[in-house]
Amino acid sequence: MRMDDIEYHMPETLPQACALLSAHGAAAALLAGGTDVVIALKYGVLGARHLVSLKRIPGLSEVTREPGGGLTIGALVKLSDVAGSAAVRSVCAALAEAAGQAGSPLLRNRGTLGGNVCLETRCWFYNQNESWRDSRPPCLKAGGDQCYVNRTQNQCVALFSADTPAALIAGGARVRLAGPRGERSLPIEDLYSNDGLRPLARENGEILTAVTLPAPRPRSGSAYLKYSVRESIDFPVFGVAASVALDSKGGIGDLRLAVTGVKTAPMRLVEFEAALRDRAVPQENDSGLAGIASRTLGTLYLTDTVPHKRHVAGLMAVEAVCRAAAAARDGRTA
Amino acid sequence: MKQRIQLTVNGETHDLVVTPTRTLLDVIRDDLGLTGTKRGCDLGACGACAVLLDGRPVNACLVLAVEASGQEIVTIEAIASGGKLHPVQEAFVQQGAVQCGFCTPGLVVTVKALLDERPNASESEIREAISGNICRCTGYVKVLDAVRAAAREQMGVAR
Repeated sequence: MRMDDIEYHMPETLPQACALLSAHGAAAALLAGGTDVVIALKYGVLGARHLVSLKRIPGLSEVTREPGGGLTIGALVKLSDVAGSAAVRSVCAALAEAAGQAGSPLLRNRGTLGGNVCLETRCWFYNQNESWRDSRPPCLKAGGDQCYVNRTQNQCVALFSADTPAALIAGGARVRLAGPRGERSLPIEDLYSNDGLRPLARENGEILTAVTLPAPRPRSGSAYLKYSVRESIDFPVFGVAASVALDSKGGIGDLRLAVTGVKTAPMRLVEFEAALRDRAVPQENDSGLAGIASRTLGTLYLTDTVPHKRHVAGLMAVEAVCRAAAAARDGRTA
Repeated sequence: MKQRIQLTVNGETHDLVVTPTRTLLDVIRDDLGLTGTKRGCDLGACGACAVLLDGRPVNACLVLAVEASGQEIVTIEAIASGGKLHPVQEAFVQQGAVQCGFCTPGLVVTVKALLDERPNASESEIREAISGNICRCTGYVKVLDAVRAAAREQMGVAR
C-alpha cells in the first residue's frame, strides 16, 4: 500500500522531540514501534505531514525496580519485553498478561508499551483503506461531519482498544509526560479524554515517557482476560483486568477492575467494584454478579460485529475477579 | 525528503537512499532483490513478511526502512547456509509442511528465532510463537510436526 510522502525527523533528545511536536501541532505524529502509525499511514487516515521518531531518544527503554517496591517502565519498552519481564510479573501480573496478548508475537516485538497506552481509538468505519472509505462521505474521525455508528447524537464513539491500559488502571499505575513546560505525573485514568476524536488528554508537545506502578498491596493478585474474534493478532472486542487484595478472612478486601473495548477510553467499573468489596470471592458462574457487570457497561456502541458482547463481558468480569483472587491466594503477588 | 540509510541485511551492509514511507519490506524486495520475503496483507496481520530484526521476528511491512538503519536484518535467503538447508527448512520439507509456500518464509524465520532462543520450547510456546503467521493451506498440523521435528533434530545435534 503506498503512503503519501511525509517529513521524517529523528530528534536526539526529549526536548528536541517535544519542540518538534509543539511546532507542528496536529500535523505531527510520534513514531515509536510503528505498528499502528504505519498502518494508519497506509490507510490514509493519519493526517500528519511530520513523523517524529523516538528511536534515538535515550532512557526510554528500561524497566527499573524502585526502592519502595514499585516499578518504572520506559515508554519504548517492547510489549514482548513487558510480557516476559519477571519484574513486571511480580509487581502487576495483569500487565504482563495484557502485554503478552496484544497483537501477535511479531507485532509485540516492535510495538511499545507507550504506544499501546496512547493507542488511537478504533472503529469499523475508520480503520479501513482509502478505497473502502471512499464508498461514503468521511466519518467524523476522518474529518467528515457524520458518525456512522452513533447516528442520533452524531458524536464520535470510536472505541478505545488497547490491552495494557486496563491492566495498568487495575494496577494503580501513573504515567509520566514530558513537555515544553516540563514533566508531570498523573494517574493513568487522567490521560484519557473520553473523546473518540482525540482520545488523549495530553497537551501539545507532550510525550509519554514512562509508566510507573506502585508496590503491590499485601495479599494481592491480578489477572487480565481478553475476548477477541481470533486468539491472536486481533484487538480486544472486550478486555478486563482485575486486581484483588484479600482481607484477613480471604474475602475481597479491595478490588480494582477496568475494561477496554467498551467506550472511547478504558474504564473502571466502579459500581461493580462496590458490589464485590468486603464480600467473599464469588463463584465463576455467578450470573447475578455477571448481570451487574454487564449493566454497568452502559450503552455499547457496537463498532464491531459481536452482538453477544454485553453478556460475554459480564461473565468475563466475574472470571477476572476469581482469577485475581486465586493469584492472591497462591501468593503469586500483584 | 529522501534519507540516506545503511541497512545490514544477511551480513552485508548496503548504502541506500529512501523516502521515509518506504518500508523494510519494500526495500528488501525492490531495492535489494531479495524476494523470498513475501508481501501478504501489508498490514502486519499475516506474518508472510517476517524477517529477523536484531534477532527478533518482526513484520517487515510495518518497519519503515529509515527506522531500521543501523540494525541487523536477516531474511529467509540467509537461513540456509553453504548450500545446505537449515534444520527448520529440512523439517518443513520432510514433514510436508509446505503447500503453496507463500507463508513458509515467514514461518521459517519465526521458527528459527524461536528455536534459537528456546530449543526446548513447549507445545504451547510453539503455538504461541507462530500465532502471528497465517497459513491458508496446511491447517498448521504439519507445520507443528515440522517445528517439533526441527526442535528434536537441533537438540540431538546439541547433545
